[in-house]
Amino acid sequence: MHDVAAEGLKFIDLTWINVGFLFTIGFIGGLVSGFIGSGGAFVLTPGMMSLGVPAAVAVASNMCHKFPKAMVGAYKRYKYGQVDIKLGVIMAASATVGVQVGIKIQEMILAKWGPAGSNLYVSAAFVAVLVIVGGYVFYDAFATKEGQENKIPELARRLQAINLPPMMTFKTANLTISLWFTIPVGFATGMLAATIAVGGFVGVPGMIYMVGASSLISSATELVIAFLMGFGGTVKWALNGMVDIRLTLIILAGSLLGVQLGAIGTTYVKDHMIKVVMGTIMLIVAVSRGLAIPRYLTNLGVMSTSDSLLNLLDKVSFVSMCFALGVGAVIILGAMIKGKRAAYKEQALETVPAAESFEHV
Amino acid sequence: MEARSDAKKKKALVKTAIFGAVSAVLYAAVFTHANFIVHFFAKGGVYAALPVATVFVFSFAHGSFASNLWSALGIEAITKQPAKRPTVAAPRPAQRPRPRVRMSV
Repeated sequence: MHDVAAEGLKFIDLTWINVGFLFTIGFIGGLVSGFIGSGGAFVLTPGMMSLGVPAAVAVASNMCHKFPKAMVGAYKRYKYGQVDIKLGVIMAASATVGVQVGIKIQEMILAKWGPAGSNLYVSAAFVAVLVIVGGYVFYDAFATKEGQENKIPELARRLQAINLPPMMTFKTANLTISLWFTIPVGFATGMLAATIAVGGFVGVPGMIYMVGASSLISSATELVIAFLMGFGGTVKWALNGMVDIRLTLIILAGSLLGVQLGAIGTTYVKDHMIKVVMGTIMLIVAVSRGLAIPRYLTNLGVMSTSDSLLNLLDKVSFVSMCFALGVGAVIILGAMIKGKRAAYKEQALETVPAAESFEHV
Repeated sequence: MEARSDAKKKKALVKTAIFGAVSAVLYAAVFTHANFIVHFFAKGGVYAALPVATVFVFSFAHGSFASNLWSALGIEAITKQPAKRPTVAAPRPAQRPRPRVRMSV
């Protein structure tokens, strides 16, 4: 079969520190994914590589944990009535085409400018997309006034009003829109997934602002897309023998705990909290990827920077990526605690009049 | 009400213990034979089915454990339907005024 590929791989020795690190990142990544529909992957792949795992094995093992995590998260949120399966399947189908185009672009850049050019392209795409989309999501989360959270964004409202057959009705998302407007969103999600491995950073905002689904529905539906795309990607990597099942299972141990907690968390918070968490993470990750750009520019000979400074920037970049995930987790847990307290108070208020009326009888 | 909640928590606790034990056995089975399994699963080709099937089995066992663990700890979803948004009226083709029948007396 493909024994040669497997023998050529270096499967790292696992220490308790490595296991603890992967489990923790898995848990936090799962928590964020369960809440905003994506995230975690951007820290896990470089995290595994920092432990000495070859890049291909890190990507494959990460993807192999991603699709069952997304499946469990999607199932949990489906039970809460938040998943639009039809929208997810249509988006995933167009995303698959986007992935293929994204890979072709990557290959062209690799052939023309080599690994440094490819890395520069990935980082530049990271920074550009995250700053523009993340910045808008972050702005919108705070600009939306109280009581207007359920308003359909202007662009989505206009697109929904255009009659361009075939028109699709999405019952859970409670909207009707032309198929031709969902395809570009799915396509962009796939292209971004092939470029920066986190398609959800475009998929979720795309579903919110272009298709017109609520943040809750969009983030839950993104899990369906992640499952379908992750499954396809895993089969591809597994056929080449690249999955280190130990790494996958350790991450999965943490992420299955996290993804369910994140999914539960969505029932405690208001719709705009999804935007707050997503925008915050995207902007911090943009800074983190921006710090990686000088190394690639130096490798391409465009600028000269000392090795010590580049090493420092690499470290700061990785730490800030972990920080992004940590901040997201803190906001989610904080919002959950606040939401739970509010629910308790509501419950207490509901029970008080009942006791009083009993006394009067 | 509280008694029902306690019974639910107790049931979740029992399930946590059962699925936790299954999950622990599965993890022990893999990690006591880690070297063999990791190379066997990485043979590629038809062996690709092994890691895929494994993660499905672990998702079921460990996923059920995780779900019941949160329930046993009292962390459960607040049962509410997501707020319905006002919908945009589905676009229809332009309608012409219907001809009226008039009687000329």
